[in-house]
Amino acid sequence: MKKWIKKNQTQNGRKQSEWEKALEKSKDFKKSFHINKKTNIPFSLTFVTSLVDEQIIQQSVLPNLLADELQTISDIKKILPLADVEISNDPSQIEQKLLNGYVMLTLKSNEDQFGFIAAQKEIVRGLTTPEIEFSVIGPKEAFVESIGQNINLVRKRLPVKELIIEEYTLGSLSKTRIAILYMDGITDEENVNTVRERITSIEFDAITDSSFVVQLICDNSNSPFPQLLDTERPDRVSSVLAEGKVVIMVDGSPHALITPTTLVEFFGSFEDYLLNWILSSFFRLIRVFAVIFSIQITPLYVAVLTYHYELIPRDLIGTLIASRRVVPLPPILEALFLELTIELLREAGARLPTKVGQTIGIVGGIVIGTASVEAGLTSNILLIFIALSALASFTTPVYKMANTIRLLRFPFLLFAQLWGLLGIVFCTCFLLTHLLRLTSLGRPYFQPIYPPRIKDLKDSIIRLPFSNQSLRPYYLHTKNRTRFNKEKAHMKKDIDE
Amino acid sequence: MQEQIPEEFKISPSLVFYMVASMQIGIGILGYQRSVTKYAYQDAWISVLLAGALLHIIVWMIYKIAEEVNGDIVTAHEYVVGKLVGKTISSLFIVYFFIYALTVLRSYIEVIQVWMFPEVSTFWFTFAFMVLCIYIIYGGFRVVVGIAFFGLVIPSYLFLTFGYNIKYADFSHLLPIFDTSIKNIILGSYQMSLTFIGFEIILFFYPFIKEPQKSKKWAHFALLTSTLLYTGLMILAIAYFSELKIEKSIWVTLTMWKIVQLPFVERFEYIGIASWNLVILPNVCVSIWVASRLIKRIFHLKHRNGVIIIALFMLIIISFIDTREKINVLNNFTGKMGFGFTFIYIPLLYICIMIAKKVKEK
Repeated sequence: MKKWIKKNQTQNGRKQSEWEKALEKSKDFKKSFHINKKTNIPFSLTFVTSLVDEQIIQQSVLPNLLADELQTISDIKKILPLADVEISNDPSQIEQKLLNGYVMLTLKSNEDQFGFIAAQKEIVRGLTTPEIEFSVIGPKEAFVESIGQNINLVRKRLPVKELIIEEYTLGSLSKTRIAILYMDGITDEENVNTVRERITSIEFDAITDSSFVVQLICDNSNSPFPQLLDTERPDRVSSVLAEGKVVIMVDGSPHALITPTTLVEFFGSFEDYLLNWILSSFFRLIRVFAVIFSIQITPLYVAVLTYHYELIPRDLIGTLIASRRVVPLPPILEALFLELTIELLREAGARLPTKVGQTIGIVGGIVIGTASVEAGLTSNILLIFIALSALASFTTPVYKMANTIRLLRFPFLLFAQLWGLLGIVFCTCFLLTHLLRLTSLGRPYFQPIYPPRIKDLKDSIIRLPFSNQSLRPYYLHTKNRTRFNKEKAHMKKDIDE
Repeated sequence: MQEQIPEEFKISPSLVFYMVASMQIGIGILGYQRSVTKYAYQDAWISVLLAGALLHIIVWMIYKIAEEVNGDIVTAHEYVVGKLVGKTISSLFIVYFFIYALTVLRSYIEVIQVWMFPEVSTFWFTFAFMVLCIYIIYGGFRVVVGIAFFGLVIPSYLFLTFGYNIKYADFSHLLPIFDTSIKNIILGSYQMSLTFIGFEIILFFYPFIKEPQKSKKWAHFALLTSTLLYTGLMILAIAYFSELKIEKSIWVTLTMWKIVQLPFVERFEYIGIASWNLVILPNVCVSIWVASRLIKRIFHLKHRNGVIIIALFMLIIISFIDTREKINVLNNFTGKMGFGFTFIYIPLLYICIMIAKKVKEK
């Protein structure tokens, strides 16, 4: 036995030294030697203890390897009651396999062949309810940090063979597993290819979350707008897959990425599909209004009070002047002061633990607000506007987009100070141009508004009933556009028939 | 020389509607009523209709020309007179579109300065406008058309506000109909040229249309829309103003907005003028796009550089046009230039193409 070890070291010393030497420095690297009881063949097991489930080794691997007949390495497939057992003679695989939680088995008699036994330890957080995309009604499952678990949640909802899952390993250090999901026969091949190309061309060392992937593969990384939709809801993922989109999943991230996406999608919540179409259309319109209001109201206040007093009718201007009478600051400073206060509160609330955060929000909001009005730093009316616009900006269902909306008002404020109403329109033009220039996966971001696709409007800023949604969105260029047979689903009977 | 545009940069035929309509509706609409009523009095709306009807023939010719040579105007010129002379003639249109953009932008700045913002600096406003245009044009033709689309769709809410004018309109002002001599009606139509021009850009972006055959109806539909819009506004203006008042207002449409009253807005024309920025934008931006594209086609200069050159020229030249008189001269000149191009040059080119075709067939 000792002889064999020595021989082993000298023989494979040069070949294996690199990975073995490096691994030996770590405490969790383990190599154990055993002898089969029946055939007396010595064999060794190599693994990283922190990555493998020791229960599997103790209960399924070792007892069988010791007790059953082990002649050649191919026997382990018969002996072991495990599904994932591989035999290979490629030494370059060893390092990766060990670090992926495999147990390596070598026989003394044949050291050029290795058996790899899967014994990964899966530490998975239990399923929780969606917290970012919470909905009152509907499913309460959210993705977790394990890609296997996440794919299971999607597969369960789409139990068809057409659901294809491709997997890649990326990141020179993190070796992150990234999966591309799409529906064969529905999703546009070109979209899948673009995603594949972009994913495989990622050059990065440690991909720890899907947000890294978003920033690495998006069309324009210099845009504040999110160009891939991320979601934590498996129900949303399965419904967009059925629509013909491509979904990217990253191991270690509880968020799946949806692409190609459009601007209007960021203002739709999954709950919209769970409610009656009239209600959901109403809520979507409210959200669009909220976004416009949230971006424009403070700049309008600044523009009107700085340049265009005459725009306001006499009765209203009285109220405004009364509220601003004691304020010594020009409107722009007043507005910036309050906007920054709100941003500070939001940022502080986001960084602090939940319970403290709430207190800060209330204390900050009420105390600072009231005090600054009483101190004569700001006017009551502006305070109302700022509070309303902050409220409005939180109606956006997708968190990343909500952040963008919050940022957008600052350039608008500056332009409003510069050129009043004209500046606001100017800034709107810039914003429109930017949105027009943006693409998601090479597809226009502003669809279906521009390029105008009237038929795709059925599920955009409004949502028509499901019976009208028999065709998949045009912009996805799906191979099969019909979702269901409309005539069959929609047979109409005459009155009293 | 035929330039092939890759399929993904082409636009769908229906978008031609927005291109044409947004190019036509621009600065002219703010005050075209005065110059037309000067000749055609209460029958001015007939002049507008007449001019609009004639334009359909011109658009028909434009499509004939473009189809015959299967390309834009540069190709057409080369087809008729050969490469060198053709390019020389084509290069005149760089100046044409430059002046067109200049006129529109300067007139708009004048409106701003007179109506809401005397202190706006012409230079800095133009500077910002040019930065915006460069940003748009760098996005490619698709983005340019997108701006044309929004430049038409978003401000369209403004036309609802003319409902306030109907309340105070007296349509008996229109009577007696056909009281004006035909000569005066035609003179009135002639006055519409600055307002109506812009649709001739079809001749310049024709290679970018996906199925040009299908785009014809959209181009005609756009003409019809703008004609009806102009006619409607003309009728409204005649009914709303007394004859004397219309003569005294330079910007009739803007004056009409003054009557609009909302509980939270007193002077609606401010909102109107600010929103008009979005209407002006496609006018200027598409013109600059055409001019810089012509530079690329003729001198083989990169499109990116062409845009910057034009923007720089615009910045320099616009500073020299600083008085009402100069702006007026510029407006009149552009009107005549537009009239000359659309009503004289295009039919001429059409005939030349037909002759050239006959000659080449033999």
